Amino acid sequence: MALARTTGARGGPRALRWAPYLLISPTVLLIAVFLVYPIGSVLYYSLQHYNLTKPWANGFAGLENFREMLFEDPLFWSSLAFTAKWVVVEIGLQLLLGLALALIVNESFIGRGLARSLVFSPWAVSGVLTTGIWILLYNPTTGIVRYLGAPEAAVLGNPDTVFGAVVLTELWRGVPFFAILLLAGLQGIPGELYEAAAVDGAGRVRRFAHVTLPHLRDAIVLATLLRSVWEFNNVDLLYTLTGGGPAQVTTTLPLYVAQRAIDSKDFGYGSALTTAGFLILLFCSLLYLRLSRFGADHKG
Amino acid sequence: MRSISRACTAAAAVLAMSLAATACGDDSGSGEGQAAGGKTTITFWDNNGGVRTPIYQELIKRFEQANPTIHVEYVGIPIASVQQKYDTAVAGGETPDVGGVTTSYLANLTGQGALEPADDWLAKSSLNGKLVENMLASVKQTTPDGKLYLVPATSNLDVVWYQKDKLDAAKVTAPKSWDEFFTAVDKLTKTPDQYGWTIRGGAGAIFQLLAEAYAYSGVNTFFDASGKSTVNDPKNVELVAKIAALYKKNTPEADVTNDFPKMVAQFTSGKVAMMHHNLGSYNDHVKAFGADKVDAFPLPVGLSGKRTVVANPVDGFAVFKNSKNKDAAWKFVDFLLSKESNSYWNQQTGQIPANTDAQGDSWLAERPYLKSAVETLGSPDTVVVSPPYYLPQFSSITKADTEPLFQKVLLGQMKPQEFLDTMAQKLTEAQEEWKKAHS
Repeated sequence: MALARTTGARGGPRALRWAPYLLISPTVLLIAVFLVYPIGSVLYYSLQHYNLTKPWANGFAGLENFREMLFEDPLFWSSLAFTAKWVVVEIGLQLLLGLALALIVNESFIGRGLARSLVFSPWAVSGVLTTGIWILLYNPTTGIVRYLGAPEAAVLGNPDTVFGAVVLTELWRGVPFFAILLLAGLQGIPGELYEAAAVDGAGRVRRFAHVTLPHLRDAIVLATLLRSVWEFNNVDLLYTLTGGGPAQVTTTLPLYVAQRAIDSKDFGYGSALTTAGFLILLFCSLLYLRLSRFGADHKG
Repeated sequence: MRSISRACTAAAAVLAMSLAATACGDDSGSGEGQAAGGKTTITFWDNNGGVRTPIYQELIKRFEQANPTIHVEYVGIPIASVQQKYDTAVAGGETPDVGGVTTSYLANLTGQGALEPADDWLAKSSLNGKLVENMLASVKQTTPDGKLYLVPATSNLDVVWYQKDKLDAAKVTAPKSWDEFFTAVDKLTKTPDQYGWTIRGGAGAIFQLLAEAYAYSGVNTFFDASGKSTVNDPKNVELVAKIAALYKKNTPEADVTNDFPKMVAQFTSGKVAMMHHNLGSYNDHVKAFGADKVDAFPLPVGLSGKRTVVANPVDGFAVFKNSKNKDAAWKFVDFLLSKESNSYWNQQTGQIPANTDAQGDSWLAERPYLKSAVETLGSPDTVVVSPPYYLPQFSSITKADTEPLFQKVLLGQMKPQEFLDTMAQKLTEAQEEWKKAHS
């Protein structure tokens, strides 16, 4: 029967030839609609003057938006510098604290289930809700900060304290993500390896350095890469917590995009900024994956 | 066998659900704007949803009783995001039939061709001749073709709200000059328990600051004869420096990021004795302190000796071009602006009715601050400075572009002169571009 179908009818093999394309077409279509079109549209608008408040000046701009961005806009550079600082500090601290938490909740002790739930619970809270909680905590009149420093100190309104305050808030939300992923990695390490290392005379530190860390490498690379992209693009928390202020000291590149495109309605320039952010992220991700030789150790 | 029957049951369930969904879809999609029973449905966007929602709910109830064939769908939009919501709706072609609109973003909406002019409707309406003339003129000035794209509903004025008992305790009377004002602020400050003043440093800061600056300097136009912005007039710079000097000395530190809700929350918490806003926050204060504990005075008279008022954006209603039921939408606008509705709305919000018949109602005379506001606006001695709401960039210049700069001034990172020079330059350029585009 099967033989008859493949050799007998002429339409059979042709239909089979198209079948794979037909099967992947929904995916291709979805990627085209939700990825290719938006990215293409941003690239297109980055080459246009497209400002809702100046409809008479709209039209082809060439590389004008990029020239203005690179040579005439100090806020592009300052927001980029702040984004870099934000990503490095956040990811560094989240990795350290996440690893520490994962190691703790990986040990056996009474109430471990409860401790694990508590460790992971902040991750389940939405960004805006997290901000709501921390705005109340930071409120100079009613918040907890009035017990910690001078009365009426506005930690979110002071350029010297605002960075620490937003970093702490994002740590509260972000550390559980690292802890979850690293805990999963820890549980995949065979116990015999630790036993063998112990027999060979390796202490806790050496076991951690030579057994735990190498086995966690992929989990660490993946978690840091994912979180770096997310922190780079973090808008919800910073937008609702500080709005990029005071005086733009907490404005990241995506926040600046939101200000230019949505508040000032300059979608052309906003698209140019987005394109820059996209290229920077792409470059950093590729570089990071290459330097960390992601997945390479499995091949020996 | 069992798995086949389970699959059949699941398929039947999916089929039943999809049929139900189709049935629902059919029901809601029968005809644009037509609800079941032959009623016309119009969507109304309230541009300051929240405190005003119950007022509209009551007015819509009255409207639907008087017009049983029309159903009004109310959507309350928070004031902070209303302009963005309108822009998104215009871009997506999903605008409401009618909405609350102010002149601060009117030029932006008409620039995108989103609104229907109301001149013809108004000419045939019983409202004709009953709306405050200078408000109609102010709306028409906002658009290049001089048409009435927004029908004014309410008049507003910048005032200083104060807690009566705090001023009484410090033996301070409502200041009439700016010198008296700064002395009063000092006398009323007893840090950290009480502050004499609060500065709006976050969203919406610039309009209030300009209202204070022009009231102080008495400069009576936004642009001089050569088309240059007067925002950086030396007297305006002087006032900004004086206000910035109050930060943290006579005001809470958190002021630098204060938007409207935060500023009002600070005042209504009782820690701040005086606060600059407009008549619109009346309800918040009454709720916090009680009607007899709070009062307001107009911004003090400045160096020119003449009371100078920066015209607030005119707030009213607009019918959208995309509407399939424009006549029903206008009927609703006409109803909202009738003497009874307009009087009710303004009595509840504590503002001045745009309907001149409603201005004679007794509740207005019973509130001294409102009476003095009506007198201030109507007095021939009052100089009214009209901001260039017709510039589509005016909103972004006075918000996204310069609010962070004012924060820098408050934090001591920028001089008031540089801040106002930057704003003046942007306004002058915008004015030139606009003139060129419309010449």
